[in-house]
Amino acid sequence: MKNRKVAKAIDAVLTHLVLIAVCFVFLFPCLWLILASFSKSGSIYSFEGFFPSAYSLDTFRTLFTDTEMYNYPRWFGNTLFIAGMSCLIGSLLVILTAYTMSRFQFRGKKFLMKTTLVLGMFPSFMGMIAVYIIMTQFGLINRMCGLILIYSAGAPMGYLTQKGFFDTISASIDEAARMDGATNFQIFFKINLPLSMPIIVYTAISSFTFPWSDFILPKLLLKEKDLYTVAVGLMSLGDTEFARFAAGSVFIGVPIVILYFALSRFFVSGMAAGAVKG
Amino acid sequence: MRAKGKGNSPAAMWRDGGRNVRLSMCLMGLGQLCYGQIGKGLLYLAVLALAAAYFVGRGFEDLIGLFTLGTQEANTWLGIEGDNSVIMLLMGLLAVAAAAFLGLCWSANVRDAYETQKRCERGGRPARFQEDFKALLDRKFYKTVLFLPILGVCVFHILPIVFMIAIAFTNYGGSIVPPKLVDWVGFDNFIQIATLSRFAPTFGRILLWNLVWAVVSTGLNYFAGLGLALLLNKDCVKGKAFWRAFPMLAYAVPGFITLLGFKFMFSYGGPINGIITGMGGRAVGFLDIDAKWIARAIGFAVNAWISVPSIMLLATGILANRDFSQMEAARIDGANAFQQFRHITLPFVLFSTTPVLISQFIGNFNNFGIFFFLRGGLYIDGYFLASDTDLLINWLYNLSINNNYYSIGATISLVIFLITSLLSLLIYTRSTSYREEDTFR
Amino acid sequence: MKRLQAIALTTVSVLGLLTGCGQGGETAGAGTPQGQEAGASQGADLSAIYTGELEKNVTIRVLENDTAIAQGYFQELLDAFNAAYAADGIVAVDANMDQYSNLADDGPYGYGPDVLYQANDVLMKYVEGRHIYPIPAESLSCWETIPQTAWEAYRAQVDGTEYYMGVPVNVQSSMLYYRKDLLPEDWQEQWDDDGNQIPDMTENWNDMYRYSKELVGQGDGRYGYMRSLYDVYFSSGFLFSYGGYVFGDNNTNPEDIGFSAGDARLGASVLLQQASLMNEDCIDDSVTVGAFSKLADGTYFATMTTPDVYSQFLKELTLAYEGQGMSHEEAQALAEENLVVTDVPKLPKSGDLTEEDPELIPLKAMGGVNGYGISAYTKSPNACLAFVEFATSYEMVMKRHEMLGIVPARRDAADAAGGISEIIYSNLEQGNIVIMPSIREVEQIWTPAQTFFQDLAKDAFRTGGRSYDSLEKIQAGLEAVDAQIYDAIHTLSGQ
Repeated sequence: MKNRKVAKAIDAVLTHLVLIAVCFVFLFPCLWLILASFSKSGSIYSFEGFFPSAYSLDTFRTLFTDTEMYNYPRWFGNTLFIAGMSCLIGSLLVILTAYTMSRFQFRGKKFLMKTTLVLGMFPSFMGMIAVYIIMTQFGLINRMCGLILIYSAGAPMGYLTQKGFFDTISASIDEAARMDGATNFQIFFKINLPLSMPIIVYTAISSFTFPWSDFILPKLLLKEKDLYTVAVGLMSLGDTEFARFAAGSVFIGVPIVILYFALSRFFVSGMAAGAVKG
Repeated sequence: MRAKGKGNSPAAMWRDGGRNVRLSMCLMGLGQLCYGQIGKGLLYLAVLALAAAYFVGRGFEDLIGLFTLGTQEANTWLGIEGDNSVIMLLMGLLAVAAAAFLGLCWSANVRDAYETQKRCERGGRPARFQEDFKALLDRKFYKTVLFLPILGVCVFHILPIVFMIAIAFTNYGGSIVPPKLVDWVGFDNFIQIATLSRFAPTFGRILLWNLVWAVVSTGLNYFAGLGLALLLNKDCVKGKAFWRAFPMLAYAVPGFITLLGFKFMFSYGGPINGIITGMGGRAVGFLDIDAKWIARAIGFAVNAWISVPSIMLLATGILANRDFSQMEAARIDGANAFQQFRHITLPFVLFSTTPVLISQFIGNFNNFGIFFFLRGGLYIDGYFLASDTDLLINWLYNLSINNNYYSIGATISLVIFLITSLLSLLIYTRSTSYREEDTFR
Repeated sequence: MKRLQAIALTTVSVLGLLTGCGQGGETAGAGTPQGQEAGASQGADLSAIYTGELEKNVTIRVLENDTAIAQGYFQELLDAFNAAYAADGIVAVDANMDQYSNLADDGPYGYGPDVLYQANDVLMKYVEGRHIYPIPAESLSCWETIPQTAWEAYRAQVDGTEYYMGVPVNVQSSMLYYRKDLLPEDWQEQWDDDGNQIPDMTENWNDMYRYSKELVGQGDGRYGYMRSLYDVYFSSGFLFSYGGYVFGDNNTNPEDIGFSAGDARLGASVLLQQASLMNEDCIDDSVTVGAFSKLADGTYFATMTTPDVYSQFLKELTLAYEGQGMSHEEAQALAEENLVVTDVPKLPKSGDLTEEDPELIPLKAMGGVNGYGISAYTKSPNACLAFVEFATSYEMVMKRHEMLGIVPARRDAADAAGGISEIIYSNLEQGNIVIMPSIREVEQIWTPAQTFFQDLAKDAFRTGGRSYDSLEKIQAGLEAVDAQIYDAIHTLSGQ
């Protein structure tokens, strides 16, 4: 008994040591970026070793007030709108697609599964020209809804992960509900959806972050500076604007961190287990 | 659960079909109208009317354009508008797609009329509009759900890919770009690639490295992510949300910023070399011209830094879904932690994350950003327009975008695409999660 | 982060192919078929485009570069133009687009600007696809005052007729930046052999080499001349000075690639000798990015770059002086005093930087000419021409020079501006500035040449197995670059 206690304690210490190492690895580059954003001089080279030689809040002040050339607040708003809408529509489509692919057997399903797998193998930049021409023909250049359309339409391609999750939810509850006369529509919304919070959160976060940090599509489709997203805007910064770049990059991470903390309770384990048993 | 999907051959339907089925064959929706299914009949008719308007308006012209790819070159100086071959190619493909869609609707309409007839023969009555609508929410729920995603994927994924495939058979690229007229050239591009002696060695080397890269980095990311999730799931770890927040930081920073940051960190003037020289060492060229394996190793590490958090997140979600009764049973039977992991957790996680593994593999196989940002702009001896860290996708980019050989790029990507997709299909169809979908139900 | 922008651009340049950018001007090379439809007889009649009648009540969208917008020059230009043409109802506005956006992608769909300010190689890409209109150059008031060498950068031959495709405004080339307060105390006695009151190390590379060696030899982490050597834009000038060139026939013939031509290997060996007195930072872009602060903190004595970044050097140096406890005004005044921008030093004919009293030849730096062009998709070419004429007038060019520090392409403005402008201007006239080629194939030179320069710089730090320890090996390396570029251009286009 005592041995097991010691083993447990050693295990706990080791676990925490590893965790601390992992956290260090992830934190350090981010910390560097954060500190750089507080650098007094705009340059990346007025650093002593890893850290800036002098600190100031000026960068953040200019980031939000000096909007003549680089309208960061505007970019931020644009990005928030595009990513938010794409996240809503995209997540819905992915979850629905994944659920359907997991629960229904129908003609052509295996074909669909293979097709989506194979489509992912195609280098996407080769298709950019076609996407651009389609958008010009639809008159969707310089329109944020065009971007939202593309992001949402592309989202279901990544359904495999979510399907994997739904595959693990026992179908026995579905059967029980069906006995009670529920339709598939009801089974999905009333029973499976509440059980799937972890994967919904995962889906929401990932379908938010992609448009949030993508810069190829916005660069392709949004020509006007007023419509820039943060990623495109940051890339257009001048050579010595490093601190502004760092500050902008740090700030771009804020919504995602907030999103994570707001949703993290859904990751708490054991939720689904209770549901199956109960 | 199982939706009915018995196919009927058109011939059989024509033979067995009654008046209404034949009417439907002649004019979409007519049969339904005759059965008194006014709503559905009108819907079919409306689709037909729309299609007709489209084809009269521009569809036919687009179809013809697909073959000619334009006849009049534009000249802005003389005010000649001219044809844009690339747009014509794309719109032509769109017209083909529209025709195919119309064909699908038509056959669906005939099958529907035939099913109604069968139902009447069995003594039933034609389904009412509300009933059809209800079926879409229940028995045919999958149709309702999949319609939008499939449409979107067709327009924004499949159409561009078909477009690229078509490009492989044209002379588009180099000096022939609009307003110059593009032409179909058949298999010329394929012949050119096959006869170029410098292609094969580069292709072989890059393909080999690309496979190594995809396998190793997928394995690395996957097991690191899973391990991290398991570690965080241990009972002795308190404040899980706090610990998990650190990897989330990495997740919160957009990929291109991360990559640029790491590139700077590993550069000669970067902080890492600053520390090395500060301690009296010699600066290390982590990513420079001689740094083949060091650069590759950095690629693995940076890719892991970027990808592990999302896998951890996902694994956390999946672990939460474990069947704990099994684990409890195992514990009662005296299984230790490792045995529980080996025989219960791992098979479960592997099963439910096989798709993730596959999509990770594909993602890594086509990981453009890592070496483009970390070590772009190098052509190394022994490689044709590529460097020793470039993946196939980077090479393709060099060829088709940097050097403007668009049709050649499309041709090569088609070849690569065929190889890789066959390969991954083979793996996929042999995977347990594909073959035995219902094991864990 | 313009560097990032460049990366971003290449990523998005997918589009370049879309509607036909990347087209060279001048005569199309052998492998480039001429337009099938338009015969040689169909030269465009400029008077059909520019009727001379100003369009009334139109808005023209102008694409300017970011510096001009940031420094407020562009707004002044727009205000002045709009006031002058208010009676005609012509309004010029900011196109509100990225300064590097591609007209070939945007123009045909109606999203492009009407007038655009670009470097010559960018503007000339649009000629073959006729994305820009020719300019009736001879009829412009600035025709006489701009030297033929500058106009040359915009000359194109289309279907047998010669056209000018843009109006030169400013000349870009390399300059030497150094800090006067880092000169040796006794430079007037020891480092001014010709007694012209200009330190010798800023006049020729041999003395610069000697001084760099002295600084490095002190062992306190200071360096003399520093430069990221992988950068083709700056390093290729050393090859050109000894007879190298990019393309044959005055940069128009992509069949003939000349990085190894003449005694170009001597230029490469000069770079190698320079690298031996630098640190590893010269292999990648570390020096380029860090030069602003490293010059300010005294780590570097001198570097070479374009004149348009002067204000950034000044800002960093001012900050450094402030850090030493000076007031802002004091620091700024001292920085302006000590930061010197001057002509690039001369090279030894022998290519040997250790030679005493060498015979000197000028450094031929790569350069460019920026100017205005008119989009072929504009609805109001006459108003656009009026704008271009207005923006290239003496007053506006002088204002541009004052606010942005650019080197005017107009002789009268350059004379009035003096200083750097005069130097660069005379270099241009004497042919010491090699204007970037304006043909499409130029896109393929960068990566092979950059790889070579990086390898060359790296060689100075290799401990064993040096790749370039003899002139023969350097020559072989340069020939390999030529072959690689030739392959990149021709291997796949042989249809």
